[in-house]
Amino acid sequence: MPIPISWYLIVSAFIFTIGVTGVLIRRNPLIIFMSIELMLNAVNLSFIAFSHYLDSVDGQMFVFLVLTVAAAEVVVGLAIIVSIFRTRRDIDVDDMNVLRG
Amino acid sequence: MTNLTVWVLALPLLGFIILGLAGRALTRTGILTVALGTSGLAFLFAALGFLSMLGAPPTSPASGDQVFYTWVNSGIIGTIPGVPAGAASGGAPFTISFGLLFDPLSATMLMIVTGVGFLIHIYSAGYMEDDPGFWRFFAYMNFFLFAMALLVSADNFLFLLVGWALVGLASFLLIGFWYQRRSAVAAAQKALVINIIGDFSLMIAIFLIFKHFQTLNYFSDSNGNPGVFNQLPGNATHATLIIICLLLFLACAAKSAQLPLYMWLPDAMEGPTPVSALIHAATMVTAGVYLIARANQLFEFAPTALLIVAIIGGATALFAATIAVFQLDIKRVLAYSTISQLGYMFMGEGAHDYGAGIFHLTTHAYFKALLFLGAGAVIHALGGEQDMREMGGLRHRLKITFWTFLIAALAISGIPPLSGFWSKDEILSSLLAQATAVGGKTGAIFYLLWGIGLLTAGLTAFYMFRLVLGIFGGSYRGRGPVQHGHDDEEGEEEGLHGAQGRGGIYAIFEAPAIMTVPLIILAVLSAIGGLVGSFSLIGVTRWHPLAKFLDPVFSNPLWATMPVAVHAASLKVQWISTGLSVGLGLLGILGAWAIYRNGFQYKENKNPLYQLVFHKYYVDEILIAVLIDPLLWLGRTASRLLEGNVLDGGSQGVAWVFGRTGGMLRRLQTGYMRNYALAILLGVVLIIVYYAVRG
Repeated sequence: MPIPISWYLIVSAFIFTIGVTGVLIRRNPLIIFMSIELMLNAVNLSFIAFSHYLDSVDGQMFVFLVLTVAAAEVVVGLAIIVSIFRTRRDIDVDDMNVLRG
Repeated sequence: MTNLTVWVLALPLLGFIILGLAGRALTRTGILTVALGTSGLAFLFAALGFLSMLGAPPTSPASGDQVFYTWVNSGIIGTIPGVPAGAASGGAPFTISFGLLFDPLSATMLMIVTGVGFLIHIYSAGYMEDDPGFWRFFAYMNFFLFAMALLVSADNFLFLLVGWALVGLASFLLIGFWYQRRSAVAAAQKALVINIIGDFSLMIAIFLIFKHFQTLNYFSDSNGNPGVFNQLPGNATHATLIIICLLLFLACAAKSAQLPLYMWLPDAMEGPTPVSALIHAATMVTAGVYLIARANQLFEFAPTALLIVAIIGGATALFAATIAVFQLDIKRVLAYSTISQLGYMFMGEGAHDYGAGIFHLTTHAYFKALLFLGAGAVIHALGGEQDMREMGGLRHRLKITFWTFLIAALAISGIPPLSGFWSKDEILSSLLAQATAVGGKTGAIFYLLWGIGLLTAGLTAFYMFRLVLGIFGGSYRGRGPVQHGHDDEEGEEEGLHGAQGRGGIYAIFEAPAIMTVPLIILAVLSAIGGLVGSFSLIGVTRWHPLAKFLDPVFSNPLWATMPVAVHAASLKVQWISTGLSVGLGLLGILGAWAIYRNGFQYKENKNPLYQLVFHKYYVDEILIAVLIDPLLWLGRTASRLLEGNVLDGGSQGVAWVFGRTGGMLRRLQTGYMRNYALAILLGVVLIIVYYAVRG
């Protein structure tokens, strides 16, 4: 018996929520990055599920695109974090509020 | 008869351009060559034209008209909706062209303007010798001559207005010539403002003329399209004609310093003295007298307006003469005297005797220029002193000035056979003739005006001889020329002259020949200039060279239909009037002699009436209190309330509102990224919920 698509979507939503919560409440930028990866991958999961369900490769192509972008994003993000750490000796996001109005 | 007028215009303009552009680089001789050369040649051309006109009088009013180019060439005006077709022009195309009219009136005016102007130019070469603005002065003077020549020789109302405004500009420049002085700048502004009132009034009059006659030319042009004076009264109603004439007269009053608008002329004394002479004698103030003479046919159709001209003229004559009696500044005495004499001219014109008005203008140009130049020579010799209290006894030191000044004073007082006698008495006898012939209320007014004229004649003689005795009579009261650092010199002179202590007078010297020669020429003209006017007084009838010469301008073919006929003075009337005026003039001189025989003495007089006249009827003070202070108050209040509280406050309020709003909104920008992320999340959730609910 094939697994119905709703299960995949529930899992995907669950992982996405974990990611969102992590981004909102964690203070360590590395963990925030991981949470963002969770969100991206939750979306990837739903793409794949829909791709299979609709019998179309469009969703899988999107997944490749998202993976590429995520890799690039991680490179830039980690570079920014390293750069911030070098100047401030501290990477707690609660202290990064220089843009406060 | 050849029309040489264009050269009379072009030469001073050329001089102005050369001096204005290159005057700074020219040497003193160069400046004088240009300035005197152009104005002298202009006079020569004016004289040539005048002589040729004497030889061949014009056949028709417009025969001396020369059109140079057409400026505006419009379609047929009568077809424009709302503009009624002219009675006579009915469909002629409307054109404005630059043309010069050379008729007896403009020829006479050009002679005066350039002739007296040229003499004043010569005089100024001596008077302005040490002034750093030498070239500027002559540039402006040439410009003044050009503007005045344009005014008197234009052949239509539009270019009359151009000349009219340019004359105002020239007077502004020259009155404010010493622009470092605050008072000079203020006087120049005052003159300009009052003149602009006149310009505005003239403009409205021209609009009305255009509306009712569809042309601005004085006379028919070469195509036979009729001018304003050819189609009187046109489709204009009597009331409209009166309004046009009153507007024209208001313009004249501003230019010629008549009663409501005379205030600028005494203040115009702030300019250099030759400028005063030029403004008072040859140019500027004569413009108003000229305009009424030029528009005489228009005024003949509006006798009410003409009567008002006469009344205002009479009121001004008396008013200014009373002020002149108590002035201490010699130039101010002369200024009020000019206003008073201009009042005479308007009285004469108001009595339909335009020739007498122009005649008095001519003789007045001679003796008033002479008086001003003489006063200038006195001021020059005293190093800038203008107060009569600091003068006296100068007849020994300034002999030429004294004798020429005396001739001018006798001439203006109307002592026969000097020029002022002929012209003033022609006006007075015309007034009396008008009074006896008309009768009724109008006649009574003319009797009153005649009385005012006689009274003013006596007052004129009195204040002129008060001035003469004050400057030249008695003993010297001053302390020597101002510029010589009189403190040291006085001590030295006292040592030389012992107890007399008035040695300063020996430091006073007669002006150089370049200044005295124009004085002598003008004195000769003041003495004999009146002989061209009228000999009919002593029975030599038909000797009216000037009146005959001007006659084509003032004779109107429609005179037969005029509401008011013109009455020539009979011999009897002339004798009565003349006898009385000469008697009063002599009385005035004797009165001055009785009071000031031993020199002028100023006594403080607390009599309120005296104070009233001494302070020029407090006109300036009243003007300041009634007009200027309220305007200043309005301006200041507006600047404080309207601009400060409303405009500034408004824009500041807008800025304040945005600042506050921003101040509140900035709290949302915490700098914490997760707050932004939360906001994005909430936004996305909201959108999703919205679409989910909407279905």
